[in-house]
This record gives sequence, structure tokens and C-alpha cells, in this order.
Amino acid sequence: MIEVRHLEKTFPGTRGLLGHDAIKAVNDVSFHIPDGGAVSFIGESGCGKTTIGRILAGLETYTAGEVVMDGQNLAQLPRRQRAVLLRRVQLIQQDPYQALNPARTIEQALTDPLKVIAKERGADKAWIMHRLHEVLELVGLDPDAVIYKYPHMLSGGQRQRIVIARALTVDPSVLVADEAVSMIDVSLRLGVLKLLRDLRERFKISVLFITHDVASARYVGDDGQMFVIYKGRIVEHGLTDEVILHPQHPYTQALLSAVPVLKGLEEPGPDRYIPLKEFGHGQPPEHACAFAPRCPYAQPLCGQEKPELVGTAHQYACHYPKERHVVAVPLSE
Amino acid sequence: MSLAVSTSSSSRPSNGPSGHPSFLKNAWRIIVKKPGRLIGLGIIVLFALMAIFGPYLYPKQLPINPNAIYAPISWRYPLGTDFEGTSNLALIITGARYVLFAAAMAAVFTVVFGTALGLISGYYLGWTDSVIMRITDFILTIPGFPLLVVLSTVWNFGQPVAMGFVLGITGWGGLARAVRSQTLSLRERGFIEAARTLGLSPFHILFREILPNVGSYIAMNLLLAVTGSIYAEVGLFFLGVVPFQVNNWGVMLNLAVFSAGAMSSAQALPYLLSPLLALLILTLGVVLFLDAVDEIFNPRLKEA
Amino acid sequence: MSANSLPTAPPAAGITIRGLEVVYTTGQGQIPAVNGINLDIVGGQITGIIGESGSGKSTLAMAMMNAVPHPGKIVKGSVIIDGVGNMMTLDKESQRRARGRHVGFVFQAAQNSLNPLTRIGHQVLDLGRSHNVKDLRALLRRAKELLERMGMDADRVLTSYQHELSGGMRQRVGIMFALVLDAQIVILDEPTTALDMLSQASVLEIVRSIQEERGLTIILITHDMGVVADLADRVIVMYGGELAEEGKTEDVLAHPQHPYTRGLIRAIPRISGNLDQAVALAGSPPDLQTFVQNACLFYDRCPERMAQCQNHRPPYEIAGPGRKVACFKVMAK
Repeated sequence: MIEVRHLEKTFPGTRGLLGHDAIKAVNDVSFHIPDGGAVSFIGESGCGKTTIGRILAGLETYTAGEVVMDGQNLAQLPRRQRAVLLRRVQLIQQDPYQALNPARTIEQALTDPLKVIAKERGADKAWIMHRLHEVLELVGLDPDAVIYKYPHMLSGGQRQRIVIARALTVDPSVLVADEAVSMIDVSLRLGVLKLLRDLRERFKISVLFITHDVASARYVGDDGQMFVIYKGRIVEHGLTDEVILHPQHPYTQALLSAVPVLKGLEEPGPDRYIPLKEFGHGQPPEHACAFAPRCPYAQPLCGQEKPELVGTAHQYACHYPKERHVVAVPLSE
Repeated sequence: MSLAVSTSSSSRPSNGPSGHPSFLKNAWRIIVKKPGRLIGLGIIVLFALMAIFGPYLYPKQLPINPNAIYAPISWRYPLGTDFEGTSNLALIITGARYVLFAAAMAAVFTVVFGTALGLISGYYLGWTDSVIMRITDFILTIPGFPLLVVLSTVWNFGQPVAMGFVLGITGWGGLARAVRSQTLSLRERGFIEAARTLGLSPFHILFREILPNVGSYIAMNLLLAVTGSIYAEVGLFFLGVVPFQVNNWGVMLNLAVFSAGAMSSAQALPYLLSPLLALLILTLGVVLFLDAVDEIFNPRLKEA
Repeated sequence: MSANSLPTAPPAAGITIRGLEVVYTTGQGQIPAVNGINLDIVGGQITGIIGESGSGKSTLAMAMMNAVPHPGKIVKGSVIIDGVGNMMTLDKESQRRARGRHVGFVFQAAQNSLNPLTRIGHQVLDLGRSHNVKDLRALLRRAKELLERMGMDADRVLTSYQHELSGGMRQRVGIMFALVLDAQIVILDEPTTALDMLSQASVLEIVRSIQEERGLTIILITHDMGVVADLADRVIVMYGGELAEEGKTEDVLAHPQHPYTRGLIRAIPRISGNLDQAVALAGSPPDLQTFVQNACLFYDRCPERMAQCQNHRPPYEIAGPGRKVACFKVMAK
């Protein structure tokens, strides 16, 4: 179980001709991941969702807030203990082509972390081999077929499975999947999503699913919480299906509208809208709604006052929340 | 559990068709692909054998023949003779040891220093990087060859190790910088981050994850360092700034030019040309073989 | 459109492809990347060509302009573009003119087709000069109109270098380049692959509205069934260098006939409805082995294969109004 409170990450600005001001990539983000639960973060690239995942995996520091894992505040732990705790959070990166060392075979890539674990537990070489085969079978690969191969001999889907198998070698309690399927052939994507879902069910491994694709987030964690992030802030969150079926924030509605409509099977929701403007970079003003410049429903108030999260289980930060029907509706046969 | 272990280990093919070929097997397969590479390897092996066994083929004191001073090329003297009537071929073969051994030492020093410092500097960044890079810049600004000339006045280079050490010490700067820049780009790659989150040690990350990816680069530099050092030491001997106490290609060149007057008299020409020919062939071998090195060490080009 | 409105727009140009064969020569032998394809691209419509990696869809697109990159080679066949002629027999200069003037091409990840060293505006002028455009001022004006049409600040974009633009913006700039010389046919190769959902939706929206406005012929090449299903009028499914199925989008989506098409559609996670409807497609994309087998290309992955399928490739035949399919099972019905 991970509890995150008021997390904040500021990247320092750079000086000089091409410099920029300090950027708050993550701003006052709180959430918790229950054991075996699923939490999804959705938003556009550059919204800060990746940074949150990297902080949890220990690849990035945070500038303010608290991260509490299994009752222990990370910031208060000595280095070594923190590293051991952080190892239980494993990151599944977007690009399976970058995530595996091209110079090493699959066997080498997986036995390295296993050796560390074996040393800690006093296990022998046979245990390592056994476990190696076990994790590969878990992710749906034939160990004998892949073990001596180099990454470039495998397809994108197989590589991502290897990456997941490697993460499983250290018995993680949380997998942070950052756009884990966006670079895989479409016909193979669902298989990887299903694997993540199975891992949740079979081993109670929680999944933090970071994506811009609402549909795949729903597939992995329809029983979990969904957080919509815009410019480093949570703009809406709630139970996944609640957010999808009753979105209140215009940005959530834009993201939902962006899911392609399958002609012949579905028809677009009556309120579907797609903002043509790309989001501008740079820091949004502190005293305005960050989404206002792109929002088709913006009022003068939106440029003057920042909306806070309101609501109980389903929260949203909008001055004029309104449920709109943007999700594609299945055609009845 | 023991049962599961035994089945899994027995089902594992020890070196079957699905097993990955050994490094040497793979390297050989790549080398024989092109005849040029094979020739290059052949030349390098030939010179290596000369360096190792050459001195044992001849008596310690090479025979002199007052009747065949500056003899032309013949069956008895395939490369002619020198001012004492000693076979040039024998001089080349016995002289190879010092030249190649010093060059190999220099290359090893260059590669070990350059690689280790480049890796550490590129991976740790921060003050470690600053310190190492300042030292590297300092080394890079030292004019290596003139320094050797100066050093040789105070230091006896009778031992090839000493010569190799000095050549290596002044030569690793460029490689360190190059390895550092490669490391810088590699450390941002996903698999390095993955290794970190998996709790693998920095030592493991540096030498097991990053090093194999700069392998082809280092191997290439190793070979280039060998040729570079050979030129440098031969140059030193040619200038005559180090004591003439050893058989050496550079010494031959020096004597041919300054004592035998090979520049003006045709009869000493074989004496001048034979060390040059040896250098030329060795360099050719290295260049031909370099072609294969990239493929051997480049993981992306490896096949099943 | 009234008869006296001058000048009358020519009827939208289509493309007729007959017996097209493209072969790649590799170390492992010859790979038929495009294998004897007959295809009619209807003018004034959006045609979606869908296939996963190794399907030959991008090669087909390049072959339409007789611009297959080395080591690929067009072995036989013809590509007749209305108003231009047979791209295979035209002289080099006429081919070059046709590209850009008649057929605009938007490359996969448009960043690779933009010159990183000159400003966008400069590149528009270069394009104009190489096509002997007299009025360069008017050309720039048109470029500006197009950019603004796509929701961008045209002046800023024209004075920018490509690295100053986001992925979505570059893709739009790519579309602008394809359209600025008034090409009637536009080929989009994976126009949204590197983009997130919202950028993808807005790029698709732009393509859709410009197509409607100008009656363009658009060929959309993608691996994403969702993109095709949302945008295209007709769908063509490619597998292993051959055509598997084609038809009107609604038709194909609602009643897919080829098992591969059916698998692709079922593998899309949906944003609403029952999650278990989504089923992963088994097996992996076609490889070298697949191309040389006698069996149907989809044999290894097909859940409905029959004895007949193992020894012959099914012919590509008419299977209803506007429908074609290559499957023995469908034909048997």
C-alpha cells in the first residue's frame, strides 16, 4: 500500500538564451494505491503523469509532500532501507526497445536481479534457474525459446513481456506501467494489458497505469481509481467507470472524446468535442484554471480564480462542472 | 521444489541450436565473411608470433658476415643485409618483440585508463566528473611526443614496459572523453534506469550494462592505439634520443638514414625499406581487421 | 455545383493499382513485401489501409509514388493515378512533379521529413521553387491559411525550426506541406503514431474537415484499427504483403469476414460495455517464414483454419457489394 500526500516536483529553470523558468511538473497530487488495486493516471504527454511514476519508482526525487510505503515515510528512511523499499515498485517503461540492454541476452538480463535476490536469501544457482523459467512462463513466454536470444530478435510484444518478467524477478508489490503498450503492435497490445490484469488478480500486485488512452486504462483497472492530470494537477478523479460515464471536467471530456469511434459499432456521444489547439508549454498562472485557454466552456471567472477539487468520492476541479455525454455509444444490433 | 529444479535444468539445452554461440565462434564467423578481414587477422597473428617466438629463432648475437655488407636481396638474405652483413629479416623478426610489446602495453594502459575513467566520469557526473575531466583535459594538452623526447633524456627506455607505460599515460585522454560521451547518452536509456530500480550495484551497471555497449568503440581504439604507439616509439628510436641498446625497427631506420646514407646511396636501400615495409604491413593488417571489430562487438549486428 | 461556376473542380482523382509486386532483397533472401496487389482507390474518399508491422502497408504507399526505398524494388505492376498516368512508366521529371503537385505525402513521424536546419517558412518557399511556383507570396499565404485552419499560430510556426514544435504540431505542418501545392491525393503514413490521444484526435479531425471541404482523395495508412474506424470511408486490411479484406468501414466493422479482421476488431479495448468482449489476437506478426509458406498467410494464427488453408493461398474475391475478402472459409459459405 502506497500513500502519496501533496506531492510536488519542481524542475529548476535554466538560464541563458534558451532558458526557461522553473516548472512545477507535479503540483499538490495526493492518492493512494491499495494492495492489488489499480490506479490509472490519464493525461496528455507532458502533463506530469510520467514524473509521478518515476518518483514512485525512485528514479526521480520530489520537492515537497510525502510518500508513505507500508507505513514508512520514504523521506525519513536511511538510504539503504529506502532502496530496499523502492525495489518493490517496478517501472514498466513505454519503450521496450530501450528498456532492454541490446548487448545482453534475455538470460543475462533476468539472472542479474535474481542473483541479488538469491544472495539476500541465501538461495543457490538452481533456485535462480528455476525462478528464471518461472517468471518467463508467468508472462506467457516459452523460456527455452527466448532465453538465449538478444532483445533485437524479439517482437515488441515479446520484449514488453520480458520487461515485465524482469520486474517480477524482485517480487514487486507495485508495477508502474508508463504507456506500457503504446509502442506495441495493436494486435499484441491487448495481450500485454491482459497480462497486467492477470498479475493483479493472481499475485495481488497493484498496478499504477499511466496512459493517454482511457480505454486501455479501463481495461487494466475498471475496478480502480482514475486520475485525470492536467499540467501537473489532478483535475478530476473517481472510480474508473464513474469518471468515464459521468465526466464533469471539460478536460476529461476532451480526453474521452478523443477515443476513436468505431464506425458501424458505435456512434459518437452527442456532446463529443475535440479541441484543435495543442497545449502550450510553460507554467500556467497560479490564479487561473490551467485548462481555461483551451476550454470551449470557459467563462471570465476561469481566468481569474483557480478552481479547487470539490465533491466526495468523485472529485473535480472546475468552476462550471457539467456532465456531458461524450463517450461513444454502442449501436444496438 | 527440488523436483521442479531438476526438470527445469535438464530441459535446458546446454549448447544446442537454440543456445547462443560462444564469443569466439561468433567472432570467427564474422571474420571469415570477408577475405580482407582474414588477411588482416593473419597479418596480426604473424606479427604477434614474431614478437613471441622471433628472438628464439636466432642466436642472441645475430651472425655477422663481413663479406655481405649491404648485400642486395637474395635467397640467403630475403631483405638484404645491414652494415655488418646481418640479415635484415633477422633484425626485423628479432626486433618485433620490443616494438610490439611496448605498443601492446601502451594500448592496454590507454584502454584501461580511458575506459574506466570515461565510464566513471560519464555515469557519476557531479564533482567526480569535473575532477576526472579536468585531469583529462590536462593530459590532452600535453604534447605527447615531445614529452617522450624530453623524458627519454632522463629515463632509460631499455624496458618495453616503461616505454609502453609512458605512451599509454599520455594517450588515454581522447578515449576517456569519447567513452564518457557514450556513457552520458547510455545512462539515460531505459535499461540503465531499469537496472537501478532493480537494485543492481553501480559496479554491475558500469561494467556489465554500459561497457558491452561501448565495446566495439573500445576495441577499435585499442587497435588504433597499437598502431599509434608503434609509430611513436619507432619515431623516438629513429630520432636517436633513446639508447641504442636493443634491436629495434626504429634503430634500423636511424642507422639506415644517418649512418648508411640510405637517402643517397642505393645499396643501403633494403636496409631502410625493410623496417618501413614491416610497419606498412602491420598497419595494413590492423586496418583490414578493424572492419571486423565493429561487427564482432556491436550487439545489434549479432544474429541467433 | 452549377455548370457555369468556373473553373469547375475536376472530379476527384483515384488510383488504380494492378499486379503490383515489390521485393526486398535481404541477407536472408527475397521478401515479397507487396505481393501482386490489385486495388482501386476511389477518388474523393478517405481510404484506410490497416496492417501491423510486416504487412507491407508502408511499402505499398511508397510504391504508389514509385518511391520505394532501397533495398526494395518494384518488380512488376502498374499504378495509374488519374490525371497523371502510370507512375511506373512516366519519366523521372514527370514523376517528381506529380509528387507534391498531384500526390501529397505525409511521412510517418513528420519530424523526419522536415529539415532541422531551416525554418518552416523557408522550406515552404523551397518547395515552391522546386515546383516552379510563380507566385511564392500566394504560396506562403496559402500555407498560412492552412496552418491557421489547423488551429495554429501561423506566423509563429512559419518562423520556427522543427525542434521548436511539438509532435502534434509537426504532424500538422506535414499535412500543410502535403496540401500547400493543392494536391488532390494525399497519402498519410501513420500520421498519428507518435501522438497522444488528444493530438491524434485533433489531427484526425483536421484531416476529416479538410477532406470534406476540398473533396480530396485521402489514403490513410495505419496499424490502428481505431483510427481507421473513426475516419475512413473504406477500409483495406493488409496482411503479410497481401490484401485480406476490404469494404465500407461500417460494413467491415459491423460484419468482419476475414478472421484476421475479426481478431483485430475484437482486440480493441472499448471505453464502455463489457470488458471481456475484448480478446487478444494470438500469435505474432508475419515474419520471413510466413512469406515463403504455401499456406494462407494467416494460417498460423487463424482460429478457424481448415485443411484446405494449409496448402493454398486463398484468392482475393468479391464477397458482397463493395466487399472483397481472401479466405476459403468465407468463400465456402
